Amino acid sequence: MSEIVHPLHRFIRPYVTSTTNCPGCGNGIAAQAILRAVDELGMTLDDFIFVTGIGCSAWIPSPFFDVDVLHTTHGRPIAFALGIKIGLPEKKVMVTSGDGDLAAIGGNHLIHNARRNVEMAVICLNNGIYGMTGGQAAPTTPMGLKTASTPYGTFENPFDISELVIAAGASFVARWTTHHARQLTASIKKAVQKKGFSFIEVITQCPVQYGRKTGSGSAVQMMKEYKEKSILMKEAAKLSKDELRGRIVVGELVDKEAPEMLDELNKMKRRASGEKA
Amino acid sequence: MAKVRIYRDLCKGVEECGICVSVCPKKLFQPSAALNPKGYRPPEMKDEAACTGCENCMIYCPDLAVAVKKEKAAKGAKK
Amino acid sequence: MKEKRVQTGKYFMMGNIACAEGALAAGCEFAAGYPITPATEIANRLAERLPQVGGTFLQMEDEISSIAAIIGASWTGKKVMTATSGPGISLMLENIGFAIGVETPCVIVNVQRGGPTTGMPTAGVPADMVQPKRGSHGDYEIIALCPASPQEMFEHTVLAFNFAEKYRVPVFLLSDAFVGHMREEVVIPEAEKIEIIHRRIPEIGTDPQKIKGFLDEDVAPMPIFGKGFRSHVTSSCHDEYGKRNLSDLTALDNFIRKLSDKILKHKEDIVRVERDYEGAEVVLVSYGAVSRAARMAANLAREQGLPVGTLRLITAWPFPGEEIEEMARKAKKVIVLENNLGQLYPFIKAEAAGHADVSFLPPRVIGEIQDPEAILERIREVLK
Repeated sequence: MSEIVHPLHRFIRPYVTSTTNCPGCGNGIAAQAILRAVDELGMTLDDFIFVTGIGCSAWIPSPFFDVDVLHTTHGRPIAFALGIKIGLPEKKVMVTSGDGDLAAIGGNHLIHNARRNVEMAVICLNNGIYGMTGGQAAPTTPMGLKTASTPYGTFENPFDISELVIAAGASFVARWTTHHARQLTASIKKAVQKKGFSFIEVITQCPVQYGRKTGSGSAVQMMKEYKEKSILMKEAAKLSKDELRGRIVVGELVDKEAPEMLDELNKMKRRASGEKA
Repeated sequence: MAKVRIYRDLCKGVEECGICVSVCPKKLFQPSAALNPKGYRPPEMKDEAACTGCENCMIYCPDLAVAVKKEKAAKGAKK
Repeated sequence: MKEKRVQTGKYFMMGNIACAEGALAAGCEFAAGYPITPATEIANRLAERLPQVGGTFLQMEDEISSIAAIIGASWTGKKVMTATSGPGISLMLENIGFAIGVETPCVIVNVQRGGPTTGMPTAGVPADMVQPKRGSHGDYEIIALCPASPQEMFEHTVLAFNFAEKYRVPVFLLSDAFVGHMREEVVIPEAEKIEIIHRRIPEIGTDPQKIKGFLDEDVAPMPIFGKGFRSHVTSSCHDEYGKRNLSDLTALDNFIRKLSDKILKHKEDIVRVERDYEGAEVVLVSYGAVSRAARMAANLAREQGLPVGTLRLITAWPFPGEEIEEMARKAKKVIVLENNLGQLYPFIKAEAAGHADVSFLPPRVIGEIQDPEAILERIREVLK
């Protein structure tokens, strides 16, 4: 009687013996959700190019996934990804990055590529902190939290990243938490097949730099809190803004059709080479 | 009915992580006796026969350290 | 009605336009940029011409994403370029370091202008001469060429693409507002007469685990994306296989040295100079637009029987130290001419001062090119 094998281990780079995640890290749950989406779509990792920035979430595919991956500079993966998509339009380009990388230093590239609605999938691992550097406040850290760089509590309003991306023009935007691993997989499958800029925000636990250091609890406790605080979009629509304070609105927030940049680019090139419209 | 495999060497411990223990609806995991080479204490299954194959442990493990394979019920057995 | 890549013919052409045409002739397929004086003509021309030949030009949201996008496209196998000026290079330097670290072919044109900061955008002041070498953090070697005419804007762009492909490194074209905006005769040869070099890639079907795509002094084949190489391309310190190593100093030492040695080992191929100092006692050393004044001054001096010659630097980096030392051994006096406060001067002096008296002559006013008469006056002074 042979031992069963994890169905997704075949996607892992051969020389990798374990993940680089801290125990209980939500990024691991998201990593598996991505691989499960690839598997359920009947695709292989050779259909993908992954692009990442700097931070723990950048290490989701690097070196873990056995795939072409470009691990770049802080805040810039989406800009590199655009160049890759221009060069290999048939491949699926996926960016995995953190809230700091994508919305702080990388905010400009996030906004512009959502505006362009260029076909790519961006998974934003939002743990509300700068984890890799030891727990500094991020633009998503709740007001008042004591972090390594805000020892007396944060004093800035935090971002709603998904709202920003929706406003910029992306055609698919979803938000889930690591409690919603199955729904996350389903949304990733949609994002991969969407002809447009797809953005999935994943509220994820950083058990060490956020959980332990700010006294917010263990991985298990943080995930339980996500379960309690989450509210589906349909339900949230019935509540007032005050009632929604402190809740996490989850679901596929936007799924629309809009002109996609590569389509428009190709039309332009046909005009340039003198083809009749 | 399901078979569960715990990859002990990939696991990051019931205390430090413990997600599988928490997401199992039947509470079938308990700490195992021995530590793994990294010093973490992986879980073991209390009662594999009671596993329904919901796959929560597999899906939620950040280290892909749990594999679940649903098994068909034996011929003639109640569904 | 598809336009041709190589616009063979004789033209009266602006330097910036010649640069864009050089890129097309070299096989550029993707360019990205952001408007900035005095480089904007290059972007405008590429925006017009690239789509005619099936390529793409993108105006990005800033210079940082411009260099990022071309690096990404280079990793799909495309030949790529961007063009900007000093302030744009300053923004790009982090990602240029990335291109160096993961060995990405790309061409970066700096049409230099008066700085520092916003400065004077239309003044042709080449004061970013050390920026390619020392601007990004860390120890590294880079290739930089100094065109002195619109003809060279064409030729050096082609050369830049070839160097980039051959050595898997970013290659700078250090032009300035003078050379970029001046119009002169430009001859574009037939396509067959233009040498084009392509990067090597691993054999398709090679076991991904066995591919050594990095850190080879003789240039590793580039494991581009989309070919099944499953390349791990990381900005972190890595080994020959692209595997990240953040703990062993020997791995860091290997990373730093191999990246530099890859260029230094091939200096003989990369370093180009123009020598005209046979029998000269006084040698004028210059590059770019100023070299035109130096040549005129040397001609005037020779007409008056003075033993003057010139050494023109075409390659600024890797630094042509051996060529300068060789010249200094034969000369008595070396006069370095730059249109700045002396950027390559300390490096030139370091190589030459052991063998000759070295001095520096800036223009009367930074931003002007030296008056050949003023150069002649200095020549007479040093010969006393």
